[in-house]
Amino acid sequence: MRINAKDFWSGILLLTLAGVGLWLNLDHTLGSARRMGPGYMPMMTFWVLLGLGAIVLGISFFSGQDSLERWAKLDFVTLFVGIGVTLGAYPIIAAVPALTNNWYPLGIALMLGLGVMAVSPGWRKLALVLAGMTVFGILLDQGGLMLALAALIVVAAFADPTHRPLGVLGCIVFLLVLCWWVFIYELDIRVNVWPVF
Amino acid sequence: MDLLFANLAHGFGVALSFDNLFFALLGALIGTAIGVLPGIGPVATISLLLPITFGQPATTAIIMLAGIYYGAQYGGSTTAILLNLPGEVSSVVTTLEGYKMARNGRAGAALAIAALGSFFAGSVATILVAASGPLLTEVALSFGPADYFSLMLLGLIISAVLAQGSVIKSVGMVVFGVALGLVGTDVQTGQQRFTFGVPELSDGLNFAAIAMGVFGIAEIILNLERPEVREVLTTKVGSMFLTKEEWKRATPSVLRGTLIGSALGILPGGGASLASFGSYMMERKMSKGRAEFGNGAIEGVAGPEAANNAAAQTSFIPLLTLGIPSNAVMALMVGALIIQGIQPGPRMVESQPDLFWGLICSMWIGNAMLLVINLPLIGMWVKLLQVPYKYMYPAILSFCAIGVYSINNNVFDVYQTVFFAILGYTFSKLKMEPAPLLVGFVLGPMMEEHLRRAMLLSRGDPSVFIERPISAVLLLIATLALGLMLLPGLRKKKEAAMAG
Repeated sequence: MRINAKDFWSGILLLTLAGVGLWLNLDHTLGSARRMGPGYMPMMTFWVLLGLGAIVLGISFFSGQDSLERWAKLDFVTLFVGIGVTLGAYPIIAAVPALTNNWYPLGIALMLGLGVMAVSPGWRKLALVLAGMTVFGILLDQGGLMLALAALIVVAAFADPTHRPLGVLGCIVFLLVLCWWVFIYELDIRVNVWPVF
Repeated sequence: MDLLFANLAHGFGVALSFDNLFFALLGALIGTAIGVLPGIGPVATISLLLPITFGQPATTAIIMLAGIYYGAQYGGSTTAILLNLPGEVSSVVTTLEGYKMARNGRAGAALAIAALGSFFAGSVATILVAASGPLLTEVALSFGPADYFSLMLLGLIISAVLAQGSVIKSVGMVVFGVALGLVGTDVQTGQQRFTFGVPELSDGLNFAAIAMGVFGIAEIILNLERPEVREVLTTKVGSMFLTKEEWKRATPSVLRGTLIGSALGILPGGGASLASFGSYMMERKMSKGRAEFGNGAIEGVAGPEAANNAAAQTSFIPLLTLGIPSNAVMALMVGALIIQGIQPGPRMVESQPDLFWGLICSMWIGNAMLLVINLPLIGMWVKLLQVPYKYMYPAILSFCAIGVYSINNNVFDVYQTVFFAILGYTFSKLKMEPAPLLVGFVLGPMMEEHLRRAMLLSRGDPSVFIERPISAVLLLIATLALGLMLLPGLRKKKEAAMAG
């Protein structure tokens, strides 16, 4: 039978979210309809979501074929290894005393996972654009805005293979000046501009 | 009447201050630019600029953001006519007749009628917002909690029903959004919900992070995956003056477009793109020149362009009078207001007269500015298209990163954005429409509050929702809307309309 894969996975996504939500909601007191506790609205929301997910899943068997884009074998491998690396690295990094503040464990773990995903061509653009954001987050506090921004642009530039070094350099210079003018000179946001040692 | 004039005079006083004029112009310019550029829409841009508005006074911030929304409607038509390239969803139908007109050597006339029609529609819609605002506010003040709950439910359902793609999936996305809105501290008991002990989540998920991740960054990744097409301008703009014959044909279309656009803009879930589709369908059936459709009929440009601009402005009515966002852009406006510490609702007209009347008057001023920005400067805007995307996306990313960080000065928000970008990317691969999610996220917490209050007042009796007449009618409309869209015949019609 030819199912609508997009609807099928949409249904699974909604069902998973509803299931996890209902499970987490067990911690909250429901209260009564008259005096609703913190768990009442979540309970209703996630039950509705569960129902909708089931309907979407059911419809996927009848709504005609609509398959997902083909995944290469490497895409599967890097996705699962990437998620595994992120989840595995987080507690390890969090155990290092020097890295406990400023969400470093989360940032570095994300960076490692995205790095793994960037190996396969199917995820490269996604992974590099997001790695650019992540490296910005990691560097911002100690490295300052200028360094973090330059790193973001360099990493993200790899997502487009037509970028040339000179063009990226031009991009960095232009955006550093623009962002300094907008965010530091005009808006005066509180952030280190240059590296702190 | 006198009061209306006094209020408008007050509004013009606010809108004509130097700062507000400057930011209305800035918003209109940015809006035109992103309207011209395909691949970045008003939702992404407004979420990008949300953090920047943080330091501005509320009125100035909203004036600028509104300028972006209606500016985008003007800009979108330019590339649609000259290059057959819709810069925005709302100008998709403009390509149908507009580009044909350009092929026939009447590009100038098409651009002129698009701009003039938009200006006329914008002016009418502005008056409509001014007149209906206080009126609707009075109605809204008689609403009880139960009525509010039903109104929001109606808004949610209609925004899902009118979204592109499968209705049931869109309803799923709305509820998904409501679910995301649950994260944070429960207002009445102070208990933490779904925060996993993360202190940053006790105020809820970051609205700007969701909007930027799902609409801004996911969009960048998708654009990078698509091969880039560069269009070269080959058509000449030609004379901008309309012939007598063209005036005669276009005028009734502009009037009809203004009417239908204003109506569809007020509707919850409506907005600019729905209005332009609606007007195009109407012109194809009703206008005198309908035989010429497909060969460059001026009615097919005049109507939809007037309609999308009218709708872009009347969609502010439910927001300003009831505090209910009717589409994703308006959900962002709610976000902007809440960041400013203003709870949108019926009391806004009274408590924030500067904001309400200033915004209305600045809309009209902004429309006049856009007329000047657009017609003589068209060549400049088309040049903008020659900037390759590979130089644009690092700039968008940089602004996203700094912007989202600066809201709370916390890198956790940057990582939140990364997470929502992945989610947004998944949504688009699964053909799940993200706009209803944003509306659900904004309305969810308000709905919970009104539901609790209503149930407390009725002593736990849910029949209050059908016993109160206002609430009952609203629920009936919601049920009808949902039921009708599930019928196969109507669904096909909607698909046809959405496909243009």
